[in-house]
Amino acid sequence: MRVLEIGLFLFFLAFLLHLIIWKVRMPKRQTKTILQIFFGVLISGIIFLYIKQPALLKGDFFSFESFIEYFHISIFFTSLTLGYIITYSALEADSPSLVMIMLILDAGPSGLDIGAFTQRLNDDLLVKPRIEDLLRDKLVCMDGEKYLLTPKGNSFVTIITFYRKLINLPLKGG
Amino acid sequence: MILNYLQPLNPLAGLLINIFVQVISYRMLLSSFLLKSVYTGFAAGFIFVTLYEYYVFFTIATPIKQFLSVLIVNLLTYTSLGYCFFHFINLGVTARRVRILIELDESKKGLSMKEILSRYNAKCVVEMRIRRLMSSGQVTYNNGRYYIGSPILLLMAKIIITMKLIILGKKSEFD
Repeated sequence: MRVLEIGLFLFFLAFLLHLIIWKVRMPKRQTKTILQIFFGVLISGIIFLYIKQPALLKGDFFSFESFIEYFHISIFFTSLTLGYIITYSALEADSPSLVMIMLILDAGPSGLDIGAFTQRLNDDLLVKPRIEDLLRDKLVCMDGEKYLLTPKGNSFVTIITFYRKLINLPLKGG
Repeated sequence: MILNYLQPLNPLAGLLINIFVQVISYRMLLSSFLLKSVYTGFAAGFIFVTLYEYYVFFTIATPIKQFLSVLIVNLLTYTSLGYCFFHFINLGVTARRVRILIELDESKKGLSMKEILSRYNAKCVVEMRIRRLMSSGQVTYNNGRYYIGSPILLLMAKIIITMKLIILGKKSEFD
């Protein structure tokens, strides 16, 4: 019972803290900051619970049952956090598909001409900001005018391409 | 007792089964139905997690309240991990950042902005997206004009915009 209650409590506490920080000042590297907030709350929460444990008073510092419970809370909390971070990445950058859907909706019952898409959705909106994101997240670096993959970017591409080759999907999406 | 101790790892085992079933089913049975293979994998993992919890419940004398609580935790954990896996698959299919990284990976000497845009640009993005939206029935095309075909993506768009307003305080990254 404690795992569900404590896990959810810590998750919503971290979420609340993240909302407050965002209202005060939006950080530059948002995903990294969310990770710091959420895992900071998890670690602080576990330490707090550990100190509060009656077992500690009896000198039972490393009770196996407690360890399993904290481990279970950590797995539960981490999975929710990862799910949230993935959802957040969809909020951070505008999805072209959703923008297109909203443009068609705004056009009303007469529908939307293809020209309107290309007029509204250009490289400055769809591609260049994503290159800036890659630079900011250090997945890409610059060598003069050229953009190059960093080792971090290279590892990321390796994981994605490994899976796509495994299931025989074409490498290039977008 | 060991069954109790393994309970935190149950969703992770479920995720491994999910990945295994998704890969096998896509390669062998559903090669042109990526989404169906994702659903099949997810269902396989979900059934495994649920059955394991029932097995623990019937093997060890566990109070029903504790059983339900652990079942909810593990199903939530598994669902969340399954959601992450779905997005991992989706990342390779739709993410613009991943496409740019793959283009850079293919050119060992790197690419200038102009070279990137000659390989991948807004026109490519719009064409690929409109094709996907039409094949999934989200958008229809009639007499040179596009119309909303199904309200599902529209509903998703509205949910995402609402979430953006709550969390980021704006509707678009360019506001």
